[in-house]
Amino acid sequence: MNLLEVDGLTVGVERSPTSILANVAFSVPEGRIVGLVGESGSGKTMAALTMMGLLPDGIEVRSGSVRIDGRQLMDPETMTVERRAGDMAMIFQHPQAALNPTMRVGRQIARVFSLQQGCGRDEAMSLAIEMLGRVGIPGAGRVARAYPHQLSGGMCQRVMIAMALACRPRILIADEPTTALDVTIQAQIFDLIRDLVEETGAGVLFITHDLAAVAEMCDTVTVLFGGQVMEEGSRDDIFRRPRNPYTTYLLDSVQKEVDPHVIEAGVDFELVGCRFGHRCRYAWEECGRVPDLVSVGAGHRSACFLHAMEENGAGAP
Amino acid sequence: MWRYLGRRLLVSVVTVAGIVVVVFFIMRVLPGDAAAVRAGPYASEEKLEQIRDQFGLNDPVPVQFVNYVRDAVGGDLGTSIRTGGEVTEELLIRLPASLELAFYAVLLAVLAGVPVGVAAAARRDTWTDRVARVVAVLGSSMAFFWLGLILTFVFFFKLGWFPGPVGRLGIVTQPPETVTGFFTVDAALARDWALMWEAFTYLALPAVTVGFVLSAPIIKIVRSSMIETLDSEYVRTARAVGVSRRQVLFRDGFRNALVPVTTAIGIIFGYMLGGNIIVELIFAWPGVGRYAYEALRVNDLEALQGFVIVVGLLYIVLNVVIDFVYSWIDPRIKLGQKVVA
Amino acid sequence: MNPASGKLGAGGANRFVPPRIDGGAKVLPLASRKPLAVVGMVILSVYVLLAAVGPFFVADPVATDPANALLPPSLDHLMGTDNFGRDVFARAVHSARLDLTLGVVIAICAMVIGSAIGVVAGYWGGAIDEALMRLTDIVLAFPGFVLALILVAVLGNSTVNVGIAVTAAFVPYFIRLTRAQALSERELEYVDGAKLAGNRSGRVAFFHVLPNSLQPSLVTATLVAGWAILTVSGLAFLGVGIKPPTAEWGVMVSEGARDIDSGQWWTSLFPGGMIVLAAMAFHFIGDEFGGREA
Repeated sequence: MNLLEVDGLTVGVERSPTSILANVAFSVPEGRIVGLVGESGSGKTMAALTMMGLLPDGIEVRSGSVRIDGRQLMDPETMTVERRAGDMAMIFQHPQAALNPTMRVGRQIARVFSLQQGCGRDEAMSLAIEMLGRVGIPGAGRVARAYPHQLSGGMCQRVMIAMALACRPRILIADEPTTALDVTIQAQIFDLIRDLVEETGAGVLFITHDLAAVAEMCDTVTVLFGGQVMEEGSRDDIFRRPRNPYTTYLLDSVQKEVDPHVIEAGVDFELVGCRFGHRCRYAWEECGRVPDLVSVGAGHRSACFLHAMEENGAGAP
Repeated sequence: MWRYLGRRLLVSVVTVAGIVVVVFFIMRVLPGDAAAVRAGPYASEEKLEQIRDQFGLNDPVPVQFVNYVRDAVGGDLGTSIRTGGEVTEELLIRLPASLELAFYAVLLAVLAGVPVGVAAAARRDTWTDRVARVVAVLGSSMAFFWLGLILTFVFFFKLGWFPGPVGRLGIVTQPPETVTGFFTVDAALARDWALMWEAFTYLALPAVTVGFVLSAPIIKIVRSSMIETLDSEYVRTARAVGVSRRQVLFRDGFRNALVPVTTAIGIIFGYMLGGNIIVELIFAWPGVGRYAYEALRVNDLEALQGFVIVVGLLYIVLNVVIDFVYSWIDPRIKLGQKVVA
Repeated sequence: MNPASGKLGAGGANRFVPPRIDGGAKVLPLASRKPLAVVGMVILSVYVLLAAVGPFFVADPVATDPANALLPPSLDHLMGTDNFGRDVFARAVHSARLDLTLGVVIAICAMVIGSAIGVVAGYWGGAIDEALMRLTDIVLAFPGFVLALILVAVLGNSTVNVGIAVTAAFVPYFIRLTRAQALSERELEYVDGAKLAGNRSGRVAFFHVLPNSLQPSLVTATLVAGWAILTVSGLAFLGVGIKPPTAEWGVMVSEGARDIDSGQWWTSLFPGGMIVLAAMAFHFIGDEFGGREA
């Protein structure tokens, strides 16, 4: 049973024909970690912000549905996501910038308890300190009285996680949670997230551009490029048996030198068809349309016209 | 903290010394014979010479300077050649008038400017925002003398709601016993409510004139710093955990926007310390600005120098106060690290 | 970016050119992106027109006509007449030439002088910088208006001296601004590039760093042009600098202020409005193009 189901999500810039997310779909089962992978500008963070109902001004949702436990969150009138307390929580890329600099961290967490459970100031504070202990902060009582600038980046990210957990979320969205941190801290944060999944049974949407982190953390992976889902499958499918040219390129880019033209080209949001079209070495006329996701194995789907050709026996790339 | 105060004091002394030197020598370049002003147009040459001796105008400039600094350190800013009074005393009598006007003008500017700036930021690019920006441009382009004249014309001459421009109180009214020098406060201390009300009615038009102009920078800075914080990542976090829009605006947004706003208040208050010459003239306000202007017209060097030094000192005191306010608002700022918006 | 066709791998001989959305994001006209700036430009154009050709069409601004003194606004006298019977509109038009010229010239001079000093302070730093900053600290401890007032008193009453005094009062703003800009510019790589190319430091400072530091100064200069007009007319209102019977807005307000007690508002409120509207035109433009400082 999928806890979170996102379907047909299309998001664009107001008064402009371009779309930042085009027909994006993915799902997160209970107690699993799902990776949302792609280079910068691929729409990963935009997808997260859409689900949280936190899109910046000037960006609009055109269509799509976001369901938790089968309950539709997308309001069809306003095309905004109406979250309930406890549906979702998010941790951000820059923990220090994501915490209010003029509020003691304990207060920031306690505020969430007050909001979510309506408990009083003192009770909320003791719950906050307890939560700080749970995310592995030694001397939680002392840290609660600190301001964000007095804490290290790793410490701030633990505070962020404590804040997110205070929401008791069914789904935790982790947007590049370790990109701004040291490698050693990164491992600790990963362990913490994994422990929490086991403990609470929440689903995690793990957003990153770091393939090593995906290989370490995720059960299934969705590869995003230019706001389009390119490929999805289990971790092994994506890393061992990639089928989409973009996924292959992405994996190659970690290990060996790749075609410089492909890197330079970036993302062109005004393309009509496949967004990888102008960078793809296999592209031909057909790619002026958007390819559908087709099944290429059990639980493994990819969006590329090559798959149709392979079926017709035209030879694999 | 003591180290901070010590360093601050040292810098202040250097700045004040600089001000004294610059002003003293600029004043010596002023054309015209101060003695002639004192003695009147029909004085004999002997009389002029006697006055020059009396005021030390015959000494070489460096000697005059040393004498001046020696007296100034003891709080004696010399004698006004125009009135014959002690400059220190004359300034201290007039300073409360200027400060009272400045205080209420800044208060009005903040009370009007902050909500307008917050509303403009919260409803960015709507009509609210556009109106707020036009008001801000109008304020920063306003000529004090024109606004003062219009307000007097409409609210005194046409409608008769407020008293005419004759100073801090009606001509026959006895001012309250001096405690703070602020008539509104002193009247309240004396429990003379009618007098306090009268002081407020006389303050109204000049304070609105100045306050309107001063609200422009407040609106602009509140708007832009609110927008900056509302776009910040921590405001997004607060929204993500379900904090209401209202609380985000006033707790997360506003507190963090306060540092640049404090800077702005400090700057406009500093700007008002010397009194507003034009407004004090239009409303016959007996403050230091008008005193300085009258001194300037007749080359009353001692009075003018005294004015400049007192204003410089107040400015420095104000900056120290602002530093303390900063470190109270924003825990990241330590004393002495001034953050300029 | 042009597809570098020679370097492509297999299958890249005939490069596929994907179709794109027609038009895409359109660039909106200035009027809807920056409406206030356009309002400012329109007002300013009217003023410039008045200043440039107006004086050839209106009556003599100093000719008195006691028989027609203090007439209210009418078709013959758009802004009425003052207590000497002079046409207020004619005087206001002649004054536009004087005040606008002063405002623009002061802003440009203050920008040029301030930017040059600011670059020296910011680019070389050290003792020069320290000394210049302490000096601007001292100057900035005073309201610009008081400074200009004292300087005019020192220099003597004349239009040129008013220009010099007001310019001097605004120079410190540009010093501060350009210095801060130059401080960050000099850390950038193109400066190292210019040095490696063998340019002397003076050349680097003035021909490479300065032009790149100018943008904020230009915006501020627009705002300063507005403030300069306010300062000049404020001084004239006090009887300092430009004196009667010169047709100047501040002088006119000062003379007309006496008539207000007897109900003749037009002699002072019209010229005052001309000042404020002119300053607003400059500030609309400066504000829209990023002027944030008070």
